[in-house]
Order: sequence, then structure tokens, then C-alpha cells
Amino acid sequence: MPHAVEMTGISKYFPSSNVQANRGVNFRVQKAEIHALVGENGAGKTTLMNILYGLYEPDEGKILLDGQEVILRHPQDAIRCGVDMVHQHFKLVPSFSVAENILLGAEPGQAGFLRPAMENEVVRRLADSFGLPVDPQARVRDLPVGMQQRVEILKALQRDAQILLLDEPTAVLTPQETRELFDVIRNLAQRGRTIVFITHKLPEVMEIADQVTVMRRGEVVANNLVSETSIPELARQMVGREVLFRVVKKPAAPGSIVAAVKNLVVAGAGCYPAVKGVSFHVRAGEILGIAGVNGNGQEELVEAVTGMRPTEMGAVYLESHDITHLPVGERRAKGLAHIPEDRMSTGLNLKTTLDENIISTRYRLPEFSRRGFLLWANIRQFAEKIIKDLSVAAAHPGEGIDTLSGGNLQKIVIGRELSGDPRFIVADQPTRGLDVGSIEFVHKTLIEARDRGAAILLVSVELDEIRSLSDRILVMYRGRIAGELSANDATEESLGILMAGGKLAQVEKEA
Amino acid sequence: MAKHSSGKQLTNAVLIPVLAIISGLLVASLFLLVSGSSPLRAYQELFKAGFSCSRLTNCNLFQTLQLATPLILTGLSAVMAFRSGMFSLGQEGQFLIGATIAAWLGYAIHLPPVLHPIVIMAAAMLGAGLYGWFPGVLKTRLGINEVITTIVLNNIANLFMTYAVNFPMRADQGTTAHSPLIDDAAVLPAFVQGSKMGIGLVIAFVAAGLVYIYLWRTIPGYEQRMAGQVPLFARFSGIRNEGAALRGVALSGAIAGLAGAIEILGVHHRLLQGFSTGLGWDGVMVAILGQVHPVGVAIVAVFFAGMRLGAQIGLQAALQVPRELGGGLIALMILFVAVQNLYRGWIEGGREWFQKRVRRGDPVQK
Repeated sequence: MPHAVEMTGISKYFPSSNVQANRGVNFRVQKAEIHALVGENGAGKTTLMNILYGLYEPDEGKILLDGQEVILRHPQDAIRCGVDMVHQHFKLVPSFSVAENILLGAEPGQAGFLRPAMENEVVRRLADSFGLPVDPQARVRDLPVGMQQRVEILKALQRDAQILLLDEPTAVLTPQETRELFDVIRNLAQRGRTIVFITHKLPEVMEIADQVTVMRRGEVVANNLVSETSIPELARQMVGREVLFRVVKKPAAPGSIVAAVKNLVVAGAGCYPAVKGVSFHVRAGEILGIAGVNGNGQEELVEAVTGMRPTEMGAVYLESHDITHLPVGERRAKGLAHIPEDRMSTGLNLKTTLDENIISTRYRLPEFSRRGFLLWANIRQFAEKIIKDLSVAAAHPGEGIDTLSGGNLQKIVIGRELSGDPRFIVADQPTRGLDVGSIEFVHKTLIEARDRGAAILLVSVELDEIRSLSDRILVMYRGRIAGELSANDATEESLGILMAGGKLAQVEKEA
Repeated sequence: MAKHSSGKQLTNAVLIPVLAIISGLLVASLFLLVSGSSPLRAYQELFKAGFSCSRLTNCNLFQTLQLATPLILTGLSAVMAFRSGMFSLGQEGQFLIGATIAAWLGYAIHLPPVLHPIVIMAAAMLGAGLYGWFPGVLKTRLGINEVITTIVLNNIANLFMTYAVNFPMRADQGTTAHSPLIDDAAVLPAFVQGSKMGIGLVIAFVAAGLVYIYLWRTIPGYEQRMAGQVPLFARFSGIRNEGAALRGVALSGAIAGLAGAIEILGVHHRLLQGFSTGLGWDGVMVAILGQVHPVGVAIVAVFFAGMRLGAQIGLQAALQVPRELGGGLIALMILFVAVQNLYRGWIEGGREWFQKRVRRGDPVQK
């Protein structure tokens, strides 16, 4: 039986960024298989999938679908051939209903008039036939992310997709939503659909995929049966060297208190405050981790500490200065650095050059400006130094950064935020969406900053990250600190109980 | 696909308007063919009338440059606002405020030459700057959309100017209401007899250079561009977005006011009812056609003015083609700028082709 997808000798070169994104790639997927495509950021996975989806034409190579050669010049060609893609950033119309989104461009109707009742019926039948319940009349903007993704998948199925490409489908999902997605994927594979999904979360590969292809630097380096491989082996194939899954660090040597938060109350989106009287302090040379299920007030806490959101009550201190009501710029001048949760829209300006990004928090320093004029020669030198020191791949000082991979973008953010040795670093989900190699880099850099005497507030929903980096751990639950644990006491179980709203006494009892 | 480097920005600022202009000319030839004239001949006349220069005393290019002067400035005004994230359409109103202040100070106070026009231009910039700053305050303090407030303020400025020239500033009861002539000392001199192209043009080009330096080389300009591009990023970095936006609209107003002052001091020498032919609005078009870049604005403004003059005296007078075609031609070009992504693709394609040939030897991998 021919393969559902067979790509041979695919090469793609982007002259504008001078990147050989794919180099002689061979990629085969069997029918009704769940196939994981893994690799570091910038390994060429997305380029390969975009070629299969007709977004890019390869410079060289052939594509065979079900054994027949096809030429895909445009996504429409791919869709006609039964290949469909769910992008990382959904392409839905938020103000339209679920049914309107799914049937966009294929509305059933008569003489140019829409028939909403019929649309809802069509979508309901489609959803039932695949066992993917949705409410056809709900507005997409009101749906949680997992549901929006389901709408995207249904949209592809409505177009009779036989081969479904999912670009990092779990990056935006909660663990619960991820489990639901996996059920959907298994269900579709049982119905004969072929699934290719891009990821860099290796446990997910082990859990769901049948076959896994590993890419590195534009080439396929391995193709394994999942049953015959392991996470360390995959990580080694991805990165090209042994990967340390445990962070190596010396015991902390905490110094004086650098930052403190007293009875902080911060408003949230709804009627109740999101942060309801939180107090803690961070010492020089220690990492204080804040764990918790997403949405328990961590975001608001970080925004209040960094000056992005006003404080209702309480106070924030940095080196004995009361910074509660200072604007962001003055907080930064007093030694605050902030690695934000969203590097794409907050941490960086993707519309401008690397130069202008790298000085956004530091352009007033005498090295970068004199009497109001920017010193571009010095700025360029600084940008080149960051690129070299952090080995930011494919980056050039005077050019745009919108084509860089997530790991490289985060390196730019970290390079900027950590230069000048800030006293207090707020790192909010610093490794979200990064591959193993980049995660290792971020962790190493934070530990180094700690050992140089910085006080670090780490907020993360990844328990492994919290546990391996933090010296002390606070758990947030519904806007309050549910409990504090030392790094040694924090087990998956004790953290889990606190995160779910349990009490520390319970933790001790069960321990 | 790194399309944000300043070099590439500059190439785009030049190439996109040029390609749009060529496309506009091509499509307009169809209309010329329909009206029975040879497009080649018509364009020849158009360009000859717009850009030729036979003698110093009979030079169409000079007139074109004179017409371009206020367009450059109102275009720069729009660039300043748009780059700061404020879609201010108040150039027309600020232009009129600047012109009214200039015409009044031109006869109401008496100062020695050189000093007089400088004081007048400074006052016009201050007044119009405040007039531009006001909608900025409404936006940053109260969240009122600046597009609407600036358009409304344009009307108010127009009515104010009409009132001023009809009542307090009216010189005599002639047919068209006008103010007294300004002092000779206040007049911005022209370079050659018979043309009104003069110091104003120099000021406009210098202003283009200064706007470029301000936006791309200074701290406040950098802050304004960052706040304009990605407000969240700017705030996160410690930039005060409200301040940046207010600076942007105030400077934008001042530049438009300068355009009004130069138009009075260099061309009309008095305020006339209905003297502005929508120069402020044209500035918005010039800015958009010029890729919201000072260099693009300067090029486009000269071209724009030449087309207008050429259509008027070349097409209409020589070929009896209605001069409205000139306006239509310009409108077509604006339309083609709207499809600039097409040109971006071409430019990018050309660049790729070029780089492929140059760099094929050693592709550096990611």
C-alpha cells in the first residue's frame, strides 16, 4: 500500500534571511498513522509542513500523496488533495458563530441567501459523525482555546481532509484540553485519517504517536517507531548532544531582601480581585518560584509587580524603595528586569529591527544615547555582542526579527533583560513554547543570574520547571498564597494538593 | 524576509510609489485612448508642463516646486502623527490655524526683516501645535477616537478662518473676503522673479531631513515609533505611550501650521476666503503614497504637484483633455499604492533573485 504522504529530496532556501530551511528532506507517513514531527525551534518542521500545505513551493524534491505525484502551488491545491492544516495561531473569525466559521466559503444556501438553521444542522451532523461535540451557535470569541481548536479541526474535516497537519497543537492547551485533543486524534486515526503533528514536547510524542520523525538544522536525522525509542534518545537526536533534564545548580546562598510584596490586592477582569492580599519577599541570590494552575492570579500579580497593572491595595518594594505606584520605566531604572509571558506581543516588537528591540529598555543609558540622540554604532555593537554571546541563530542587528524561531526570540529578550545585571528579575513562563535545547539555555541563564546575586521571581505553570529551578516555592490558589514549600519538600503530590486548593496540613498528613 | 531594516524601508519608500505611479499611468492611458488622445503624446505634454524648465523666468518646474512646498509639510505632519500611532487627519485644520495666525501677525505686528517671518512661523507652529495636541489629550485622557475629533476640528478651524477673514481681519468690502497684505518684512522671498518658489521650499526640505533625524535618530522619536508600532511592547519597555502620542500629534500640528504660515508668507501674502484647496488632505495622501517616510513624502509631493500643474496647463491647454483627468490619474496612483503588497512581492522577488545569484555559493544555515 502506498504511503499517504511521501516527500522526497525536499529542499527550501530562503534567500532573504539566507536560511536553508530544508535540505534534501525525506518524509513518509503511512495511512491512518499518527506521526509526530519533532525538532528544535528553527529545525525546519514548520517549513516542511507549509510545503506540504502548499504555502511554499520547494526548490527541489517531489511530493507524492497516495503514491501519486502532486504539485502544490497554493493551499487550495493541498485542500483539494485532502491535505489540511491547523495552524498554531487559529484562523477563525472571532465574531462569527461556530457554524459560520466551519462553513466559511461553503455555506449551504439558496440563491445567495444564507440559511442559518440549515448551517447549524449541517455542522451538528458533522460534529456528531466524528464524535466532536460543539455548539454550532456559540460565538467563537466566547469559546476556550481548546474548543476553538476543535472548530479548526472540524473545519478541516468539513473539507474532507484525509491528511491533517497540526502545528504545535498542544502549545496553547491546558493539560485537560490536551487529553481531550489526544482522544480526538486517536478517534480520527481510527477512522482512517492520517495525522501529522508538530511538537517539541517529547512526553506527548511517547503518549500518542505511532511513528516519529526528528529534524535538526533542516534535515531529517532520524525516523523511529515510538515503541522502539525513548525520550532521552529523541532529545539527543533533536539537539545533537546529551540533554540534561535536571538542572545543575549549587545550593542557594540567599543574601538580603531585594524585593518584597506586602498585602497586595490587584483587580482582575471580573468583579472580584484577582490577587487578594499576597505577601512575600525575594532575597538576593535565590529563586522564588510561584506555582499554580493558570488563572489563579499569577498574571495579575506579575503585572502589578512590574508596573503593567495598577495596584489596588498593599505595596511593592524594591531595595527598600516603595515602587507600588511607579511607572514601568522608573522601576526598571531601580533594577527591575521582566521576562514576560508573551514574547511575541509584549517582550518584542516584531515589526522592527533587532537593534531597536535590544535597546528598548536601555536606550537612555550613556552607552546608547547622548543628549537625546541615539548612538547607533554602539547599539549595533551591543546587538552583535548579544547575538554572539547567546548564539542567536540567523539574526542580524539591522534586520527584522519576525522570521526568527521562538527560542531565538527568547534569547533576544533574555539578552536584553539580563544585561546590566538587574537586581530583581521577574521571569513569567520563561520557557513557554520552547524546545528542550532552548529550555536548557534559559534555565542555565537564570541560575547564573541567581549565582551572580540577582533575586528572581519565577512564575510558571510547569511543575518540573518550578521544582528544578526554585529555592523556595509558593503556590497560588484563587488569588491567595495557598502555602510555601522549600525546594526539597516540594513533591509533585504536595504541590498538586496546594494547587487544587488543599491545605498544607493535608500535605503533611499524606507525606 | 527581514523587511524591516532601515535600508529596505528606504528602498520600499522609493520603489513602491514609483511602481504605483507607473501602474497608474498605464491604466490612465486607457482613459486617454477612449477620449481620443494618444497616451504617449498626453504624457509627454503632462510631464513637459509639469517638470520642464525652458528659461528662468518661464519655468514650470519652479511652479511645481512651489506647489509641492505645502504638500511636503502637510505630508510630514501626517508622517509624524501616523508614526506615533495616532491616525490624526487634522492636517487641514492645523494648516488653516497656522495660516490665520500668520496672516494676522503679518500685519498686526511690525518687526525687522528675517526676524518677522521667524516670529510668525514660530507662533503659527505653536498655535497649530496646540490645535493638534488637543485631540491627542482627548484620546489619551478620555479615549475619544482621534480620527473623529480631528475631522471635527478641521471643520471648526475652517469656520474660524472664514469668520476671521470676513469680520475682524477683513481688509475691505471687495468681492472675496480677504485680510490686509502682510508687511514686506514678513514676506518669505522667492528665488527668481515671476515665480513664488523660495525660502519656503528650502524650509520644507530641511523639515523632511529633520523629521527623519528626529524619528530615527533621537530618543523621543524612537519612543514615538515604538509606541506607535506595538503599544504593549513600548509600555512593557518603560516608554510612556501617552506622552509619546501627545508629542507626536503636537509636532504633527506644528508642522502643518508651518505649512499654513509658509503658504501665507511666501505665496498669498494675505488670508483669502477659501484659499486652501484641501492641502491638508492632500498631505495625508502624500504621506500614504510616500510610505509614511520623509524621503517618500518629499519625492511624492513634488511628483503630485507636477502632475497637477501638468494636467492643468499641459493636458487642458495643449490637448483639450479635461484637467480632471490629472486628478483622476493621481487617484489611480493612490489606488495602486493600496495594492502595495503586490509590489512588495515583486521587490522581495527581485531581491531574492539578486541575492540568490550573489550568495548561492555559501548558504549559511540556520
